[in-house]
Amino acid sequence: MIIPMELYLPIAGNSVNIAAVFGLGGAVGLLSGIFGVGGGFLMTPLLIMMGIPPTVAAASDSNQIVGASTSGTLAHLRLGNVDVKMGVLLLVGGVLGGTVGVQIIKILRQMGNADFLINITYVLMLGLVGGYMFVESLQSMSKAKAKAKAPGAPEKHVKSSAFGRFSASLPWQMDFTRSGVRMSPLMPLFLGGLVGVLSAIMGVGGGFIMVPVMVYLLRMPMHVVVGTSLFQILFTCINVTVMQSISNHTVDFVLALILLIGSALGAQIGAKIGKKLHGDQLKILLASLVLVMMFQMLYGLLAKPGVLLAYVGGH
Amino acid sequence: MKRAALLCILLLVLPATAMADGIAFQVAPGSIDIDALYNGTAIDVSGQVPEGSQVVVRFTGAPEDVAMKQKGKALGLLWMNMNTLHFSGVPKVCLVESTVPLDQLGEAAGKLGLVGMAQAIGIEPATADRKELLPELLKLKRSEKLYRESDGAVKLGESRDGSRQFTANLPIPSRLSPGPYEVEVFAVKDAQIVAQGVEKIDARLVGIPAAMADLAFNHGAWYGILASIIAIFAGLAIGMIFQSKEAH
Repeated sequence: MIIPMELYLPIAGNSVNIAAVFGLGGAVGLLSGIFGVGGGFLMTPLLIMMGIPPTVAAASDSNQIVGASTSGTLAHLRLGNVDVKMGVLLLVGGVLGGTVGVQIIKILRQMGNADFLINITYVLMLGLVGGYMFVESLQSMSKAKAKAKAPGAPEKHVKSSAFGRFSASLPWQMDFTRSGVRMSPLMPLFLGGLVGVLSAIMGVGGGFIMVPVMVYLLRMPMHVVVGTSLFQILFTCINVTVMQSISNHTVDFVLALILLIGSALGAQIGAKIGKKLHGDQLKILLASLVLVMMFQMLYGLLAKPGVLLAYVGGH
Repeated sequence: MKRAALLCILLLVLPATAMADGIAFQVAPGSIDIDALYNGTAIDVSGQVPEGSQVVVRFTGAPEDVAMKQKGKALGLLWMNMNTLHFSGVPKVCLVESTVPLDQLGEAAGKLGLVGMAQAIGIEPATADRKELLPELLKLKRSEKLYRESDGAVKLGESRDGSRQFTANLPIPSRLSPGPYEVEVFAVKDAQIVAQGVEKIDARLVGIPAAMADLAFNHGAWYGILASIIAIFAGLAIGMIFQSKEAH
């Protein structure tokens, strides 16, 4: 029996090579398992290059992430890396923030120049977040080395920033045992909302913003951050899949399923690789990835495009 | 005897022979079926044209309106999607095949090509620069393999009684949406179109793609929920497989 290599996708309206789609899913799943990001930023443009219409690529991708993050969340749950309480609070905040973000983007579109603003925000955010993470993890890596050389060195002093004092002054302080932090539930609610607003405006899943927020503002350990982020992405993407299916009919399930099998496998392997890496190593790798993305976007903005027209609804 | 019977059946199945404006030709198969394994196909066009003429065969999809963003430089530096443009009467697909390159056939035949076809496309707002935008539109459609202009796929055969046999094997792109399409044949002689004919051909979804498209477009909510549930179960199943592997 000959296994067919090309499959026609009814919603995308084109045929694709199964092996190529499967491989793409695997590679993106690996990243998602290691870093706890959805990987839509990588997947969508590559699908468009394979001849999938932009709107279908973005929507099918979120369907795929549902499966991949289920697999990834499961793997991290077993490793004890998911803070469910924190995840639910961030999720609730994210949904509220997303609703606000959609309204903001509507107003921006009416004022014109929305695309310009979105692109600039994107590049600046990625540059800032990536740059900060990169420098910070480099510093803490060299500190760790210095400590190993001089065991008698003084313990690192606890930072008491204005942000920390503000956080401690909020009501209903409670323990998040998995993350090993104590704070008010208002913090994750508010920060989740902020990420929700941003991700709705930028049209992305938000993993890339959420992960740094959990690391630096909620002070969660990197391994728990990855698992909790995947847990949260799972629910966000179910919402997007159903919404897109109802209002735009742009989810191609056949495409999503092939991607998903590849990426779910990748996510399992990724979770194991991530476990072997140190928090700082993980951070610096993620920072590099964010910076590469930023430069890629910047290049897209600066270089003259091959065709001076784009379909409406694309990126 | 058996073969003759088969031929008779085949002739019956073939679509009606076109006799418009003097060109008789057949298109086979009579329709394009898009099943789960569809990856582009080819259709055969054959018939007779007046002796001494060259042949142009055109495969076109129904014209549609397309909204596009024009890319331009913002702040003199950054390439962005700028103003929205509305193109009207843009054929979904336009494949032009001829016996010799179109520019060798004179002005009348030149209009049958992509550039000639594009003249009929309307652009809103009217102030838009057609000279710049139409070639960009053609470039985009060509890169999607939906537009094509080439020679060599149409072959001329023997001449007899003042008419000449032609056959064409037209490759159809994989990126094909279901709907009505047209095959046109033009005979060009001494820089003039001396005869032409048209045949309709439908592309339709069959089997799995047809069932899925129906669910997606007519029962969107169910489709989305089902897609999510299947994705979750697939993810869980793969997760389980890994878990059981680890346990051993």
